[in-house]
Amino acid sequence: MFKSVDEVVSRLAEERYIASREVATVVYLAAAMRKPILVEGPAGVGKTELGKVLAGTLKLDLIRLQCYEGLDEAKALYEWEYAKQLLYTQVLKDKIGEVLEGAKGLRQAVERIAQEEDVFFSDRFLLPRPLLSALLAPKPIVLLIDEIDKSDTEFEAFLLEVLSDFQVSVPELGTLKAKHIPLVVLTSNNSREMSDALKRRCLHLYLDFPDAEREMEIIRLKVPGADKKLAAEVVELLHRLRKLDLKKRPSISETLDWVKALTLLNVKSLDDALVTETLSTVMKYEADIRKAQQELKEYLAVRKAKVAQPAATSDKDFLN
Amino acid sequence: MLDRIVEFSALLRRHGLRVSLPENMDAAAALELLGVGDKATFKSALRAALVKRAGDTQTFDELFDLYFLGLGTESRRMDEELMRQLGMSPAEFQAMLEEIEKFLENLDGQISALAKALLTGDMGEVERLLREAAGAERSENPGLRVLMFAQGIGDRIGVEGVRIEIENLKALLGRGGAAPEMIEKMAQYAEERLRNLLKLVRELARREADTKDPTRPERERHDYLSQKSFVYYTEDDIRKMNEVVVRLARRFKNRLSLRRKRARRGRLDVSATFRKNLQYGGVPFRIKLEKRRKEKPDVVVLCDISDSVLNASRFMLQFVYSVQDLYSKVRSFVFVSDLDEVTRLFEENEIHQAVEMALRGDVIDVYSHSNFGRAFEIFYREHWTAITPKTTVLVIGDGRNNYNRANDWVLQEIRRKAKQLVWLNPESRMTWGYGDSEMPRYAPHCHVVEECRNIHQLYQLIDRIAA
Repeated sequence: MFKSVDEVVSRLAEERYIASREVATVVYLAAAMRKPILVEGPAGVGKTELGKVLAGTLKLDLIRLQCYEGLDEAKALYEWEYAKQLLYTQVLKDKIGEVLEGAKGLRQAVERIAQEEDVFFSDRFLLPRPLLSALLAPKPIVLLIDEIDKSDTEFEAFLLEVLSDFQVSVPELGTLKAKHIPLVVLTSNNSREMSDALKRRCLHLYLDFPDAEREMEIIRLKVPGADKKLAAEVVELLHRLRKLDLKKRPSISETLDWVKALTLLNVKSLDDALVTETLSTVMKYEADIRKAQQELKEYLAVRKAKVAQPAATSDKDFLN
Repeated sequence: MLDRIVEFSALLRRHGLRVSLPENMDAAAALELLGVGDKATFKSALRAALVKRAGDTQTFDELFDLYFLGLGTESRRMDEELMRQLGMSPAEFQAMLEEIEKFLENLDGQISALAKALLTGDMGEVERLLREAAGAERSENPGLRVLMFAQGIGDRIGVEGVRIEIENLKALLGRGGAAPEMIEKMAQYAEERLRNLLKLVRELARREADTKDPTRPERERHDYLSQKSFVYYTEDDIRKMNEVVVRLARRFKNRLSLRRKRARRGRLDVSATFRKNLQYGGVPFRIKLEKRRKEKPDVVVLCDISDSVLNASRFMLQFVYSVQDLYSKVRSFVFVSDLDEVTRLFEENEIHQAVEMALRGDVIDVYSHSNFGRAFEIFYREHWTAITPKTTVLVIGDGRNNYNRANDWVLQEIRRKAKQLVWLNPESRMTWGYGDSEMPRYAPHCHVVEECRNIHQLYQLIDRIAA
């Protein structure tokens, strides 16, 4: 799929995803070793995005399974179409009557029905859910299992068979084996610790908030019209904000929203009055907004002091 | 390389990481694909294969540097330090090294390999020689402590010899015909290098001890906090606790919701299924399952914040705060002799601030003497409506009542009305009932009475109460 780690970086960049070398290394290994990737990290650092972009880069179909509490095999793997089966039996009543014609006694009737049994438990009445469609896909695909930490431990245990052998057992049909081993990306917000058994089967990738330089790069890519100096200031402030004890730390998407908003409002520098008013795009709780305002004030004070010193005040400083 | 990986995994394991055999194999396979040329890639690959918990990343990073990077970073730092001391630019420094090399070539055969490598700045070679000596020393005298070990390596490699050689060299330098200030710098350089060598020997001994000494991780286990009694918590411990508390509260919630979920999945409701399917002529088209009512946890917490249990209540308040954060129906009260509600206070403030406010006496007078009886009475008089048949009441306190009236009838009433009454006592069970402790009178009214002196006990408790 990929020839080298560098190729991963450049091809992900083509899909507008800025990957650090570490991310690229793990992706490369996963593709080459045919192992699932378990991506962990705070909300909004691009975990799900990684899965989507991978599919885009490799020009593969993406099958996504969103996990939630109470998700079970029936919803993730397959279901028998009970209603359709019943409908068919109703419609075929006469035909069934024909089959049973001349049967002597119940035993023989059951015998005859049993011979036709597999008609009703065939692919026709099997409703494949994401996991099964991923395994049965005629060409390689990317399987994204999102927020695995939201699912129950039972489901996680069930996933083990799928992830290690890429096969599932359907009692009526036997074992179904994957035609192509899919590239699997699992994401987790770490709201609960995943079992060691699952972790053992995956390569682990911890995505954290990007460093200032990479975040700048992301802004440049996603908000092409943004003022460079403003973007640098925003990134620096956000890095400070993320260190605070907040209910919800601002993620990359919120950075982008804010930069977009400020750019639209034609704000050129963070000491603008509009900045305080748009803080709500970054902070989602009242208490957080108050803290952010405080931090903003301090930041501006520090910056003013810096500007007062004539030497070494350029964009570079903000980047560092 | 494979045995290096295996040894490294063993090292990780000794430091509390769980590394299994298949993961080792993954690491090996990854390196086969990527090679070991690039340091950063090598490290990422190892981390992806071996480290599966974000919390372990730091340990991994430290051990990786220790194990794979060797003394390289250390000696590079020494070079920089030297340049600074001699006031030389990197280019000048390099020029001097070349000068020295030329000089040493003339003395060929009269100088030891170690001294030559050291003076020409070939630190890779120095490290190789050092490691050789360390290996030999280790195999002959296993089990030496760091200092003795360093001494052993030093003797083996011949530090004394190098010292003499350098003294001799300094005398010889003058005859080379170089400029006097250059000679002085070279002499100074040689002396510094000797000091560097001693430093490297010690550093190597320390690292060897770090990576090979199996008892070290035990001493530095991160979770020592969980076994430590609240009473002995230091300021630092309390700060570290925040994370632990959040985890605890989440576990509490997970436990409860797991139970709820099990209960929600009812069995087939035969009569409802028939009724529903009359429209299809009695053919069971749509299946109807029994539905159970959802049970929302409803918790009332009474927390003693008197001086005698200060550290414990600080922790407990943090826990209560986190629990309240997770549920909609939690009401929290604090008491010493008075009792008042802190639910609002917790809702509106950030955790540390809220806990400090509660303990500082913003709500009630915290400097009075504990009086459980009075506090219970106030609760009965003013907040009785907080308790419903679905409520779990959690009392946290040592039950030391200063010989006041116990008023245990309130607990009796609570027990009669609430679903569950739980008492957590941060004192050792041995001391209950001695002095002014009223535990023997309070305990019979509670469904659960537990000693809760450290996080470990709280963990077990949560599993029991909520399961």
